Amino acid sequence: MGLGLGLGLGPGAEGPEHALRAAPHTNTSGGGWANVKIPFEQFRLDNGLRVVFSRDSGVPVVAINLWYQVGSRNERPGRTGFAHLFEHMMFQGSEHVPESGHFALIEQAGGSLNGSTWLDRTNYFETLPSHYLELGLWLESDRLGWLLPAMTQEKLDNQRDVVKNERRWRVDNQPYGDWDERIQALVYPPDHPYHHSVIGSMEDLDAASLEDVEQFFRTYYAPNNAVLTLCGEFDPAQARDLVERYFGEIPPGPPVPPIPGRTEIPQVIGRPVREVVEQDISLPRFYLAFRIPPYGSEGYYPATVAAQVLAWGRASRLYRRLVRERRLAQDVAAYAFPIVVGASMLVLWATARPGVEPERLEAALLDEIAALRDVSAADVERAIHLIEARRLIDLQRVDERADMLSMYTSLFDDPGRINTEIESIRAVTPEAVRDFAAAFLGEENRATLLYVPRAEGGAA
Amino acid sequence: MSTISRDRPPAPGPIRPMTFPAIERRRLDNGLAILAARHGDLPLVTAELVVDAGAAGDPARKAGLAHLTANALETGTRSRSADEIAWELESLGVELDAEATWDATTVRITVPSERLEAAFALFADLVRHPAFPEAEVERLRDEQLATILQRRKEPRALANDMAARFIFAPDVPYARPLIGTTASVEGLGRDDVEAFHRTHFLPNASSILFVGDIDADAAAGLADRHFGDWPAGQPTTPEFEVVPGVETSTIFVVHRPGAVQSEIRIGDVGVSRHHEDYFPLLVMNTILGGAFTSRLNMSLRERHGFTYGAHSSFAFRRRPGPFVVQAAVATEVTARAVEEALKEMAALRADGATEQEVAAARDYLRGILPLQLQTTDQLASRLADLVIFDLPDDYFQHYREEIARVEPADVHRVARDHLRLDRLAIVVVGDADRVAPALESLGVGGVWVHVDY
Repeated sequence: MGLGLGLGLGPGAEGPEHALRAAPHTNTSGGGWANVKIPFEQFRLDNGLRVVFSRDSGVPVVAINLWYQVGSRNERPGRTGFAHLFEHMMFQGSEHVPESGHFALIEQAGGSLNGSTWLDRTNYFETLPSHYLELGLWLESDRLGWLLPAMTQEKLDNQRDVVKNERRWRVDNQPYGDWDERIQALVYPPDHPYHHSVIGSMEDLDAASLEDVEQFFRTYYAPNNAVLTLCGEFDPAQARDLVERYFGEIPPGPPVPPIPGRTEIPQVIGRPVREVVEQDISLPRFYLAFRIPPYGSEGYYPATVAAQVLAWGRASRLYRRLVRERRLAQDVAAYAFPIVVGASMLVLWATARPGVEPERLEAALLDEIAALRDVSAADVERAIHLIEARRLIDLQRVDERADMLSMYTSLFDDPGRINTEIESIRAVTPEAVRDFAAAFLGEENRATLLYVPRAEGGAA
Repeated sequence: MSTISRDRPPAPGPIRPMTFPAIERRRLDNGLAILAARHGDLPLVTAELVVDAGAAGDPARKAGLAHLTANALETGTRSRSADEIAWELESLGVELDAEATWDATTVRITVPSERLEAAFALFADLVRHPAFPEAEVERLRDEQLATILQRRKEPRALANDMAARFIFAPDVPYARPLIGTTASVEGLGRDDVEAFHRTHFLPNASSILFVGDIDADAAAGLADRHFGDWPAGQPTTPEFEVVPGVETSTIFVVHRPGAVQSEIRIGDVGVSRHHEDYFPLLVMNTILGGAFTSRLNMSLRERHGFTYGAHSSFAFRRRPGPFVVQAAVATEVTARAVEEALKEMAALRADGATEQEVAAARDYLRGILPLQLQTTDQLASRLADLVIFDLPDDYFQHYREEIARVEPADVHRVARDHLRLDRLAIVVVGDADRVAPALESLGVGGVWVHVDY
């Protein structure tokens, strides 16, 4: 369940992060381990680039991570999928870096790299042996400062084909592959920036031009719209000097235009919406989605705890009742999206076991959601303990830490949330989960997407 | 501030020392091996049991049994119901991960060190005293059957399963899906699972790995308290020969009407983990399809735009696992993509790789190792490899030297020896009406279209 669209790098490369890593929070029981703090320092260059350093002297590697505050939310009508296509172009060389030089230089250094595009952001990252830190800064600064001279129609056409194949691979040739596209369209109105998918339409990908590349770059790829994080083993004084030399001379861009469309929307959908899709699949599957308060607001945290109570682990309510006891579902999942514009969403899914009528499964799902009004202290504690342990496990990786620091800085201008967000999770009480469920998980805020096996044909 | 030049890549600084975690061993009286490695600076421990019982030992009519048994460990013990054990573990923040691979069954927890004692007691209970309630085993069996059903509609899984089926002769265990077939899994029940556990889960055929915030004595003490009275037994090892499924290169088209993409697998029998060419093969495969800048990916993706990604890999098992080249390509370029992939394989076979390519691949493999050993569970996986493949404890200390020794001549030799272009099982899961004629005209080998599968 990747949250972003990556570059599809092969074995040994970093995969796109999974959903839970975006909820790195903590617990109630107050052990020393639950209070692990990640040290960091931050500064800003004159051109507006925000920089975060976090040192750790475990293994001699350094993670370099950049978040640009641009994602599919910034795309204009007729150019869906462009932020992601642009991300691909960022790996095609820049004025001083030859085509495919970016990949080759990092792989030869024994590093891993990737990038990913999502609704609110585009990130680029590499993890290198520490003595190659300067190489990484050279590569990242060159494509931020000197990308356009290297752009050609041939490269654009090639990457357009690659991305269209990515769409086929993820969406069009994959069972249930278009669920997020359909859910976003059901949950957000047509003029909201989350209404369309990150991957975009084939038609819009076809329409993308070199002029679009240039305009997009000039609009969004500027130091004042980016965060750079270094995490791992490095000398901060030397690193700061290198960052200033490589990034300092890149001029700031003009103010970033507001996100297009209507960004303020009611926090509930207002009426039940429903779509039924026939596909070449073996088993019916339900997706239920609800608008919830945006990521970072206090109202978001009860939602993320509720998602874990419902479907994380074998003692979760949906697994216990629907999978183990009643044998209606083959699998269940639920999570809150860490997105910030207007409203986020909580998505839940369940696949019907063979022979189970979708109506029975749906009724059971709704019963369990309604049963959140009786959520217990033990349910909430279990969920928080799982979140807390997962956070600690994730913090072991320098690339994960770097990405979190970039995220908190980019979205909230506060890298310290890597250590303090746990307070918001710890503050979630059973009453808060009940109140959340009552306010946000009702019928008038529910989008239902049901996949059913195609009736005839498609026998393959 | 000194000036910088952007014109060429900056030179690396002085390399920093890297020490690999030392591995300490203990053995309990009943034969259970304990491996411990201190790792990281967070208060976390991964504990992993490795049992010498993999899916390769499943008889054909019971294929999928090792997988079902691993899943069924979580369905309750003599003193705890399935719900109780899940509740107790997860209330400690612990997720249990039990998995059968071809060569072993592993059961793993990663837990804050403060909670290790409590979590490990539960871990021991479910490993040693599973009750395998009949209703729960049947539920999991039915879920496994449903998963098999789903895999037929999932092009990537279907392509992997069909590739295995044709790369290996039908009676080789690797020819079957690890989770079994509808026919084999339908017949599985509680007694099979109980027998598998009784026969194979033995201390003298198992190891427990402790990685993270723990020392060897504490690890051995903990293991002894919970596993010290686990009675030993008579381990068994599966015996089988690995035989290829095709004698000459053959194309199998698996028909999915209307598919917008073709999932391509070009496969052959590879080599075992014990093969003397292991390190040269790692380097050769990195050049062919094991990195982003590999020849296959640069050709099929970056030059031709046929695919989102092309890769190759050797599955190193105790016996020769599959070698597979894979890509998902647009339907209309399917035959061209197969042709290009074969061309890259042929070129590496004929001419070997350049000095520069070999150096880059060596540097990549050497540099990437520390990145793959960041977390306690990553290191535990590597220790499990030492156990499963009987590798020396100083293996990682010497890994980078072994890679550094691989020369262009070695790469050329292993490409010649192991890329057998005349014995490939080529699987294409896609729209046969649109792809079969062009595949036929490649002249690679016979084309068989499968409509029922």
